[in-house]
Amino acid sequence: MKLAKTAVLAALLSSTWLMPAMAQDLTIGRASEQSSIDPQFSRTGNNQMTSAMFFDRLVDFGPNLEMTPGLAESWEVENPTTWVLHLRDGVTFHDGSAFTADDVIFSLERADEVPNSPAPYTDMVSAVASMEKVDDLTLKITTNAPAPTLMQDIGRVFIISNAASDGKASEDFNSPATAVGTGPYILEEWKPGETLTMKANDAYWADVPEFKDVEIRYISNDAARVAALLSGAVDVIDAVPPQDVPRVDGTDGLHVFSAASGRVIYFGLSMRFDQAPGVTDLDGNPLSENPFKDVRVRKAVSLMIDRKLIVDRILGGSGVPAGQLAGEALGGHNPDVKPDEVDVAKAKELLTEAGYPNGFGITVYSSNDRFPGDGDLAQALGQMLARGGLKVNGVEALPYSVYSKAASAGDYGAFVFSLGASTPNSAPLLQALLHTYDKDRGMGAFNRVRFSDPAYDAALEEALQEFDPEVLDAKLQDLTTMVFAEQPIVPLYWQKVHWGLKDGLNINEGLSEQTLPQNVSSAE
Amino acid sequence: MTVFILRRVLQAILVLAITSLVVFLGVYAIGDPLEILLPADASMAERAQVTASLHLDDPLALQYWNFIVQALQGNFGRSFVFNRPALEVIFERLPATLELVTTSLILSLIIGIPLGFLAGTRPRTVTDETIMTGSILGFSLPNFWQGMMLIMIFSVWLGWLPSTGRGDTGTILGVRTSYATWDGFVHLLLPATNLALAQIALVIRLTRTGVQETMPLDFVKYARARGISERRILSVHVFKTILIPIVTVLGIEFGSLIAFAVVTETIFAWPGVGKLIIDSINMLDRPIVVAYILVIVSMFIVINLVVDVLYSLLDPRIRSRAS
Repeated sequence: MKLAKTAVLAALLSSTWLMPAMAQDLTIGRASEQSSIDPQFSRTGNNQMTSAMFFDRLVDFGPNLEMTPGLAESWEVENPTTWVLHLRDGVTFHDGSAFTADDVIFSLERADEVPNSPAPYTDMVSAVASMEKVDDLTLKITTNAPAPTLMQDIGRVFIISNAASDGKASEDFNSPATAVGTGPYILEEWKPGETLTMKANDAYWADVPEFKDVEIRYISNDAARVAALLSGAVDVIDAVPPQDVPRVDGTDGLHVFSAASGRVIYFGLSMRFDQAPGVTDLDGNPLSENPFKDVRVRKAVSLMIDRKLIVDRILGGSGVPAGQLAGEALGGHNPDVKPDEVDVAKAKELLTEAGYPNGFGITVYSSNDRFPGDGDLAQALGQMLARGGLKVNGVEALPYSVYSKAASAGDYGAFVFSLGASTPNSAPLLQALLHTYDKDRGMGAFNRVRFSDPAYDAALEEALQEFDPEVLDAKLQDLTTMVFAEQPIVPLYWQKVHWGLKDGLNINEGLSEQTLPQNVSSAE
Repeated sequence: MTVFILRRVLQAILVLAITSLVVFLGVYAIGDPLEILLPADASMAERAQVTASLHLDDPLALQYWNFIVQALQGNFGRSFVFNRPALEVIFERLPATLELVTTSLILSLIIGIPLGFLAGTRPRTVTDETIMTGSILGFSLPNFWQGMMLIMIFSVWLGWLPSTGRGDTGTILGVRTSYATWDGFVHLLLPATNLALAQIALVIRLTRTGVQETMPLDFVKYARARGISERRILSVHVFKTILIPIVTVLGIEFGSLIAFAVVTETIFAWPGVGKLIIDSINMLDRPIVVAYILVIVSMFIVINLVVDVLYSLLDPRIRSRAS
């Protein structure tokens, strides 16, 4: 029997070598596809990932979103509304033309004017009042108001060539003649739904990528992507589903690289209306008041949840228990704000104090296709709340396309949602999720639970004026302590993401969750 | 015949009008595209900008009116996601699906009909039983599972065939196709087989039943009496008679395979329309969904028309009734 197994294994191994030799140096199986090569068309994660292969930005964001100089070598703040940028010398575009201040002005001006953009870069350039070219490599930017995060904001806009892109529409960028950047790779061809091919830019101003010819294949189905890696058709895949991690890691010749992502999964308890949808008394009649307006009830819910169990059992270890918004690698993470340990007795006590000695009825809502395990998570939360002394009327998991609209409209009293990080610190998270909802001022855009604390709002707005990044991080830490004393939401965990690679390959990625060919290298 | 076709065209226009309204309302009711399209950290200003540029704030009736007016001029709107004309995006993906579906239909005919004849002419023998049991498997194993098994066996274990994408394509007579290169052809094998398995089973069953029903008929006996060889009786006379149900069923199947080859396309990362429509529904890309369904409905109408015409060619009785 053992001999037979060995023979089969040997046959399998030898047959994988019979696969046709690959023309590409590196083939990547990727779960998501960009909607356009135009780097300013949409700033969703998929599009930014693709753009980062062909285009550069004024600053570079590393694997953990840390900011380093990019096309702008240095910058100084002349006065709070005037910035001077010194551009990198000797950088050329893919077509050989030199990179100058004109390209930066062109790119920043175009950023909020791309027609029909579903996710424009408007906010990134909204602080800019005017731009003035001092010389070819110096640029003076005046802002409308003091803008401490200016470089972080305009730094997210990809710089395109003025000469090659002037007057071109987004779809023109699908051709290499228009998609002219300064990035580490040069576009060869995009076959939508199929492949993206590129070659290394040998004149790249920073490290020239190790792999010269790269092909990216779009394989959205999880099982198919894993199979492609197992069969040797691709060298690297992203988004390995948590349940397949042991399988991939246990296969000879393959290994898994894991990193914590910036995405926090949380449980929202809506304080929006005087009655919380789905919250009932013990007989199933709607409760006359909204229990979630009481901080003791919110805290009690948090104490009922066993985050470690969720991470271990539902996610197979692919998560890190969370007690705040920003993960460890982000600026503003406060190590003193720890995730709640499960404590049913304490939860009961708090509920009794709040006037619900026997609990109340609750329905848990969740998406079922947004992130790995979201449907199962809702089930587990239901069980944990029931154990904690609430009467769980039901658990409802819906497709995200239906769910997101209803969640934003406030149709759910208790719901699971997630928020990703795209900046080096927690400021945007604290602002968008926990600042009082204020449509006119553009604050609290994702505050679906409608948490509101004027003292916190004031302190946050003050912190957002801070120019010194280190002082800002310290202030964000204090704000985190302050706001989580009130348990505005119940953080559950930060996702972990996994890449599957052939042995001999390494990938240097992290919080940003990207899969960039320039960050893949052969093992030392 | 002309009157018949004309009446069909009028019916088709009515069907299209009703479908467009139903689909438009349905897609509108599902969810809010803004929630999906906007990045997680979008500001209110960006939200307002996108709402305005995609005309999401217009009243539903006005949106539908604008859609109809533009559609009559051949413009089905621009995809929210890709910012390209919806029809262009669909027709860009359609050839890949057509190629896959046609290949699997051809496979099902060249494998299904001979096996069906074999089973039908030897009822209740071991051959018959084996073929029929095999066809039950083809029917009842879920398409998705079959696909995964094909990948496991032929790509992962044996390493013979590639499992994702279309491979290298070339052009034959201006059409981009996998048949032009060896690499493209081997990429086609697994997905086409996956799609064909259920069809093969279907064709086997239809053929076998047809053969068994036709063999005892008078015209077969008469042909035998005239001394026509058994081989010619089967391959010409019986074959022509049993083709009618097969053509009907395959006509319908052809349409639904194109429209709903989703599972196969997803598993094998085949860049066809099935995958496009699923992605578009998930992304709430309304223009694509509406345009796609209208394209598919038109296609069904055309296929049904073609099937009706084929009938009259195959069966003289229908021809005489029509005239």
